[in-house]
Amino acid sequence: MWENRCKIAVSGVGYSQATRSAETPLAAHALHAVKAAVEDSGLQMPDIDGLATYPELPATGHATVDGISIVSVNCMMAMLKLPNLTWHIQTGSVNIGGAVQQATNALLAGVCKYAVVWRAMHNPRGTYQNLPGAQATGPLQFTAPYGFGGPGQFHAVAYARWLERHNQQREKMATLTVTQRKHGLKNPHAFFKVPLTREDYLNSRMVAHPLCLYDCDIPVQGAVAIVLTTADRARDLKPRPAYLAGYGQRLHFEVAGRIPSLSNYMEGGRSSAQLTWSRSGFTPKDVDVAQIYDGFSSSVIYGLESYGFCKEGEALDFIQGGRIELDGDLPLNTFGGSLSTGRIHGLWHIIEGVLQASGRAGERQVKDVNVSFVGASAPIVEGTTFIFVKEPY
Amino acid sequence: MTMSDWSKVTRPVPVPNEWTKPFWDAAKQGVLALQRCQACKHFQHPPYATCVNCISTDLRFEPVAGHGAIYAYTIMYHTGDKRFAAAVPYASIIVELDDAPGALLAANLLEAPYTEAKVGRRVEVMFEKLNEEITLPQFRLARTEVGA
Repeated sequence: MWENRCKIAVSGVGYSQATRSAETPLAAHALHAVKAAVEDSGLQMPDIDGLATYPELPATGHATVDGISIVSVNCMMAMLKLPNLTWHIQTGSVNIGGAVQQATNALLAGVCKYAVVWRAMHNPRGTYQNLPGAQATGPLQFTAPYGFGGPGQFHAVAYARWLERHNQQREKMATLTVTQRKHGLKNPHAFFKVPLTREDYLNSRMVAHPLCLYDCDIPVQGAVAIVLTTADRARDLKPRPAYLAGYGQRLHFEVAGRIPSLSNYMEGGRSSAQLTWSRSGFTPKDVDVAQIYDGFSSSVIYGLESYGFCKEGEALDFIQGGRIELDGDLPLNTFGGSLSTGRIHGLWHIIEGVLQASGRAGERQVKDVNVSFVGASAPIVEGTTFIFVKEPY
Repeated sequence: MTMSDWSKVTRPVPVPNEWTKPFWDAAKQGVLALQRCQACKHFQHPPYATCVNCISTDLRFEPVAGHGAIYAYTIMYHTGDKRFAAAVPYASIIVELDDAPGALLAANLLEAPYTEAKVGRRVEVMFEKLNEEITLPQFRLARTEVGA
């Protein structure tokens, strides 16, 4: 087991009100979320001495403008002018989970005391994924001429292979999307405020078969943030802490431009989860509640299977029969997932993992939670995994 | 009718670079050629600086037969890219070649209804000329069985 288990905790969390269009500059969203997280901790802004984010704009073909389409660490430092800042970083791999892990390491190293991590997501005007113009350069020369555009199609091909290889039916996915929306209606910060029915799902238009509209999260403008600190400091703050029992990151990647195979996604998820299980000492059977990245619904399948919650090919059967309800055996994406909050990437999943472990999830709180698992972004993308616990051990 | 109408589609034109030029030079001659590691004999695609199998840098392009199976596919309905909107719905497929296991090629399934795209279906290479410089390898359902 990891010698540093439960030495770091997440205290406060904060959100901006996500909107469909970019009416308010992204920097204002990020600032709002960071202030809310600090206030939720019971800290004052001058207490914050560490900053970390992963700023990438996943929409392709749009200008990257700091404060407008991304919120870099430099941007946040300039806005906050923190008098006691001692550490900061902007990560470039494994998405926002990597920034949370770096903040953890900095706290363990003693180079800061209270670190804030935020994720701000921009929804640009026009088409989210702009394909190359008349010419296709670099790795795109082998995909764009055939009409392969954004990530959705690459998720779709992997999902089609999974469905046909395992003789499964996409209609079973209705259970996941309908249940997650039901959870999301109990989350005051969710973007969607109306129920989703099985019929809505089954009748929705195809985007890239086998993915339909409700298999895809909706791009939004918004930000969320968390405060991390050492366990002894966290105990003196306002909210009950969620202790970090272990984490992992994806260790399998393909070279640039190579079309990722389904088996590669699974290896990515397995490698991250294995680190998390061995560091924490827990197994999938010990988990009381799970958040698994759902930018596309199919990512939840690869998560459930590669993390070890069920066998390969069985995830769409595993989620049936009430198992993922709040009172089920494995309550799943209890905040509604990205499918309910909009595309804020994995920090929302981490926040919900924290709230469930610390008993602060309100109306959607799962009973008797101790072990709270988070797959912060899909193995299909850039995976990280975490376990938070209520009781240090 | 489930045939996709490609006649009004203007495809983005590939721009060869120092790694990929031999691939496009071969395609222009109606030959599918992939990068092969001379140390471990592994085929790979797209071209890269090193062998993805053994990290050797001794890589050369060699012709492959162009027979394979659909590894995965999607039927595109979304019309976000207006250049492809006229062909919707259409099948974008990922092909795994018999000669080059693990080297996955993107393509469209041509000369067949898009509903014929299924994992495991046998396909064979064909070529679609885009301009004087660039010819795209494409795939259709197999008409000749390997060894026949």
